[in-house]
Amino acid sequence: MKKIIPQRCAVIENRRLDKAGWYYRLRLSGFVPSRAVYPGHFVHLKVAPGLDPFFRRAFSVSDFDAATGALEIIYKVAGRGTALLREVRPGTMLDLIGPLGNRFTVPPKSQTAVIVAGGVGLPPLAFLARYLIDRRHDPKTVFFFYGGRSKEDLIDLPRLRRMGANLILCTDDGSRGFKGMVTEAVIHHLSQFDDRRFHVYGCGPEPMLAALQELALVRQWSGEMSLEAPMPCGVGVCLGCIKPSLSAPGSYVRVCHDGPVFKIGEVQL
Amino acid sequence: MKPSLSLTIGGVTFKNPVTVASGTFGYAEEFAELIDLEALGGIVTKSITLKERQGHPPPRTCETPAGMLNAIGLANVGVERFIDEKLPFLRKLNTVRIVNVAGSTQAEYVEVCRLLEKAEGIDMLEINLSCPNVDAGGMELGTDPAVMIRVLTAVREVTSRPIIVKLSPNVTSIVTIARAAQEGGAAAVSLINTLVGMAIDTETWRPRLSNGTGGLSGPAIRPVAVAMVYKVARAIDLPVIGIGGISNWTDAVEFHLAGATAIQVGTANFIAPDTTMNIIAGLSRYLAAHKLTAITDIIGRVKVKL
Repeated sequence: MKKIIPQRCAVIENRRLDKAGWYYRLRLSGFVPSRAVYPGHFVHLKVAPGLDPFFRRAFSVSDFDAATGALEIIYKVAGRGTALLREVRPGTMLDLIGPLGNRFTVPPKSQTAVIVAGGVGLPPLAFLARYLIDRRHDPKTVFFFYGGRSKEDLIDLPRLRRMGANLILCTDDGSRGFKGMVTEAVIHHLSQFDDRRFHVYGCGPEPMLAALQELALVRQWSGEMSLEAPMPCGVGVCLGCIKPSLSAPGSYVRVCHDGPVFKIGEVQL
Repeated sequence: MKPSLSLTIGGVTFKNPVTVASGTFGYAEEFAELIDLEALGGIVTKSITLKERQGHPPPRTCETPAGMLNAIGLANVGVERFIDEKLPFLRKLNTVRIVNVAGSTQAEYVEVCRLLEKAEGIDMLEINLSCPNVDAGGMELGTDPAVMIRVLTAVREVTSRPIIVKLSPNVTSIVTIARAAQEGGAAAVSLINTLVGMAIDTETWRPRLSNGTGGLSGPAIRPVAVAMVYKVARAIDLPVIGIGGISNWTDAVEFHLAGATAIQVGTANFIAPDTTMNIIAGLSRYLAAHKLTAITDIIGRVKVKL
């Protein structure tokens, strides 16, 4: 078995995606994964050499081309690590480990994929949507809900439109698409469909995921969501990135190793 | 000729001095797809307690300058599940298997060791008398020499395996405690466990760890650890296993020169899971470059004018 060891990849692009400068697309070349890369997987990236910052940072893969080794990450500048990453120039070699974690499952073609992305939760779901459509899922059976606080939070729209899925945008302030929470947009848009065949996928801020999970549990939709947590090790040993379990009360799950993708009803949000 | 990295502690032969620190390597199976486990000198498991423990609520870890704080709270599967579910994997490995034992009372340490005694596939025990993150036991039992001797004497009655005692740096004199470990019948001491530390969020005014304080580890504590290894190695007759921020082979050499017979790599496993592999290769190159034939040639050889 090939070992998952740190490898160095060259930055080929590190570009701002929005006017305000919160979101960036990082593309790396020459990534040779030790196992196939699937939507849901993450990589553990050293954003700067040396001891500052001390931990690696975990990023969901937003796209990967196995033929060329081109790996894409979309990140939001949220703290010291991502602020340093924003300064990285093309040509720089970055140290990364991956792919780590588990992955999204692929629903049977008879099911309707309801993808629900909130803000920073877009990257793994953009990869998932492309993957599902490439695997000959009829784009019309893929619903892609994408919400943000305002239109400035909605990034990479041309790419999402090109996929041909049913793209439903929404914003808290109504500056683009449906006005309201993304879960409200889901209820509003899908009420005319037979929801017994829904399989939901979520990623985004935790309050949004909590609302999505509650909705899915009430409506008895199957589904899964990708969670985020600061991860010292990324491989399941430090027990730092835990969340309380919903299905096994009193115990915890490790986001990095038991996830980052969890079934609806598995984690208490 | 290739220099020899092998050594013996408590009658157990290690193929090299590079082992991993408890709590940074899970039950080893987690690292199977990351490194060659059998290349390691030894493996120390997560602390095992009598009953399964879920540990503290999050947040349990936080980043600090050149290191990290943790307060996991000895989360582990408990000794029975360890024997049933985790030990079968370890048992098959051709490396020294060391089970780290923790508890809240002397009776708990004794009971865990008694249950482990019947299980196969364990070469040594490491008694954790130094966890800073639990209310009872752990560090309390490891900071009073008389209590330590009492606990070790009781544990030795139920186990035939060599005992490593893991020492806390959070004491007035670690040498006094190390002497107590020797008197209590330890085969070796390992040091240092984490230093008590704290970080506070200046916006929320809350500690960054749910437990309030935690244990500091990583390169930030390395000079403290080197000094303690140096002092303890000169004061007792037992082998010393050096721990504290070791991240590369030069760090390992530093600990050996200070007096460590073997070393444990801890926090560095989180940052670069192949750290141990690089250290093993680096030690061989270092010995060859210095025309030395064995790792044992450098142990405690620091040149100090006193």
